[in-house]
Amino acid sequence: MADGAIDVRLENVSKSFDRVQAVREVSIDIPRGEFFSMLGPSGCGKTTTLRIIAGFERPSQGEVYIRGVRVTAVPPYRRDYSMVFQSFALFPHLTVAENVAFGLRMRRVPGAERRRRAQEALDMVKLEELAQRYPRQLSGGQQQRVALARALVVQPAVLLLDEPLGALDKKLREEMQVELRQLQRRLGTTTVFVTHDQEEALTMSDRIAIMRDGVIEQMGPPREVYERPRTEFVASFLGASNFFDARVIERRGAEAAVDLGFGRGVIAHVDAPGTDLRIAVRPEKIMLAPLGAPGTHDARIREIVYRGVTTHIYLDCAGREVIVFLQNTAPQALAWRIGDAVSFAWEAGNAVVLDRV
Amino acid sequence: MNRLGHILQIGLAGLAYLLILGPTIVVVIVSFSAGETFAFPPPGLSLRWFVEFFAADNMTGAFLFSLRVGATAAIAATVLATLAARFVVRQRGATSGALQSLFTAPLVFPAIILGLALLLFYRTINVGGPAGLVLAHVLIGMPYAFRLVLASLQSFNLTLEEAAQSLGAGPIRTFFLVTLPIIWPGILSGGLFAFIVSFGELNVALFLTGPGYTTLPIEIFGYLQFPGRQLIIAAASTMQVALIIVLALTIERLVGLARVGRS
Amino acid sequence: MPSSLTGFEPAPLGDFLRRASSYALIATPILFFIVFFLGPLLYLFVVSLLEPSKTELYGTRLTLENYERILVDDFYHRIVTRTLLVGSLVTGTALLIAYPVAMAIARMSPRWRILAMIALMFPLMLSNVVRAYGWIAVLGRQGVVNSVLIGVGAIDTPLAMLYSIETVVIGLMTILLPYMIISIANALTSIDRAYSEAAQSLGANPWRTFIHVTLPLSSPGVAAGMQIVFFLTLSAYVTIALLGGPRFSLLVSLVYRSAMAFQWTQAAALAFVLLTVALCVGTLIVLVLRPGRVQGRG
Repeated sequence: MADGAIDVRLENVSKSFDRVQAVREVSIDIPRGEFFSMLGPSGCGKTTTLRIIAGFERPSQGEVYIRGVRVTAVPPYRRDYSMVFQSFALFPHLTVAENVAFGLRMRRVPGAERRRRAQEALDMVKLEELAQRYPRQLSGGQQQRVALARALVVQPAVLLLDEPLGALDKKLREEMQVELRQLQRRLGTTTVFVTHDQEEALTMSDRIAIMRDGVIEQMGPPREVYERPRTEFVASFLGASNFFDARVIERRGAEAAVDLGFGRGVIAHVDAPGTDLRIAVRPEKIMLAPLGAPGTHDARIREIVYRGVTTHIYLDCAGREVIVFLQNTAPQALAWRIGDAVSFAWEAGNAVVLDRV
Repeated sequence: MNRLGHILQIGLAGLAYLLILGPTIVVVIVSFSAGETFAFPPPGLSLRWFVEFFAADNMTGAFLFSLRVGATAAIAATVLATLAARFVVRQRGATSGALQSLFTAPLVFPAIILGLALLLFYRTINVGGPAGLVLAHVLIGMPYAFRLVLASLQSFNLTLEEAAQSLGAGPIRTFFLVTLPIIWPGILSGGLFAFIVSFGELNVALFLTGPGYTTLPIEIFGYLQFPGRQLIIAAASTMQVALIIVLALTIERLVGLARVGRS
Repeated sequence: MPSSLTGFEPAPLGDFLRRASSYALIATPILFFIVFFLGPLLYLFVVSLLEPSKTELYGTRLTLENYERILVDDFYHRIVTRTLLVGSLVTGTALLIAYPVAMAIARMSPRWRILAMIALMFPLMLSNVVRAYGWIAVLGRQGVVNSVLIGVGAIDTPLAMLYSIETVVIGLMTILLPYMIISIANALTSIDRAYSEAAQSLGANPWRTFIHVTLPLSSPGVAAGMQIVFFLTLSAYVTIALLGGPRFSLLVSLVYRSAMAFQWTQAAALAFVLLTVALCVGTLIVLVLRPGRVQGRG
């Protein structure tokens, strides 16, 4: 499936509207079969980047390639992709079958083959019996599947998804996430997915690009981006993080002993030079320990929030706030009380050194 | 679409606006003519035809009568429209749809048939004169007033009325102290629109006017059917254009004309 | 409950009165419409089914004669045909001009679009007699066109352009054109941009996007515009009389003249023939364009 060919390539793409720079020098290579997500808050440029691939926006500079063909100046209808829109954009005056067959009709596929392939596409999303309905007669989830069938039936080189699950309620959205991913794996269609929902991006993607102010802050597989965030923005946008300033006291290879201001600690994988570091530690990587154990820091519990699967504990450590997530598996997670004195610590490998911005 | 298509569209749009507005602009220019007969361009400029307009008893009479009919009909139409809209905005589904169709029906109904029907009806019950015309114009103006009042009530937050009632105001005081101060631009625009419609109305007035109670459009129509002093009609038309511009600007300030066009 | 403030329980009678007054308020406009709209129309229909009378408004015997006369007489056939012809020409040319203009308006920035719409609404507020007079001023013997043509030496004697079917069509079409443009422009601006983008993403070029997506999605505005223009053409007696001259007759002219000649039963029957024509054409427009597909009905 993934034979190394690059299906989508953006080279130094920038786009400005009036005087606002929506996208700045973005370069991405997406290999065949990859599920690639662009994640970020609204206004970060992810949708503009998708629309540049689709051809609805012309980049102010840079080049766009689809399957090796430069398409920067090619109009949308001559590019080899299809798209699922946030509002689905199912044509209200056409039946489900006519909607699905639309792209084939535009490609002048003969009538009989058109009907057969449209029917197959509807089978694939399990909507074969609704072919003669109109879009308004379908539920949100069904409309979503029709939109997907309409996009996939033309066997595009690239499938673009513009927050396609945003219009669905939470439970249906989670079902569709799994279904969409399974379908994509089976067909091997290169997919570019835009979302502002970090969990959705983590669940579905082979690779994630996190965008902010028109710039890709970090790009990589979900685990890497989550476990080794490079900037404070990435660390806080994907999940939650505790941030500390750390001063290097002593280096031993890649490991360093640091002064955190409220005590000493050890960090593994220190690539950055210099002595003043900024580090991030995920709340679920922090352990609460008995008072006064060696290598731990003392704190007091200021607030406890019970969240079902987890309990969030807010610590006060010499005036700074430290958040700890505990799994509600062991009884001691529920035994803490506000005002208790505790100690906390993390494993050296779980502290991440951030780029100084 | 391509560039050529765009240029064609712009050209066509210019032509359309010329065809729509051009003839009326010609009339307005000619009404300031100093000449004796119709000529374009006019031989010189003067206000003599406006002087003649105000000196002609039948013209000024028709003008004043049109103002009176329009004002009376507009007030009545607005009151009825407000009563109707207040009820309709609280209904949903079939009731709301049916009442809306009823109250806006005169908008699309061939007015000439309505005029004939009312004339026959008035003859049978022996009513007639100005009152019959005013009642007909209430009917013709009501759809416009109804739509504008309904639109402003639909954007009015009905919770405010509930809040007033929870504080002890009865329905009547709630309406005058809370609802009316918020939706009055819609009501006033509705009234102005009903006035405008009455002021230019022809098809019903054809049947329901008579000697001593002729509206300005019918008086103009009478003049036009016989050749003669056509420039006094140009002056009468310009008077109407001026009045409508003032009223249209008022509505624009109150609720926005483009919003009216959408409904 | 406000009455609890004063310490009273709402009496059943008070409750009844309150509800009754709410119905009384809506009853006034409804009653007004029944007495002055639905009632007279029903009455007119009954009169169309009565025999004519020389002394009274109408006779007492029920008959279909008034309609039969219209159905069998060639004269009326010609009038109905001409009415349909003028109506179709006015509606058709208005549509052909209005659609591209509406597209241009829909593409404007909101600020310009509002100005363009106001410029279209203003003439609709003027009396049609003033706008018809405008065309007399342009096309009449001493009108603008003749003055210009004589001025440049193209003709010696003024052309007789008034009192022809072409003038009636041009006059009615331009007087009613704003309705068509406004109706279509509103429909076009309310179409979500995502639909045409979806079509393009599926390989439709601009022309096919227009044919397969934009045009059908604008059908509610097209249907409404065509109906308004056709209906108003049917009852535009004054414009037809002024631009067509005393000898040019459409259905509406016959309705008016019969009434002025006190042939009430005849006028009533003609009025309902006119109404039938309106309903048939209105239905035809809906059947062909099927605006309900887009509006979530049918």
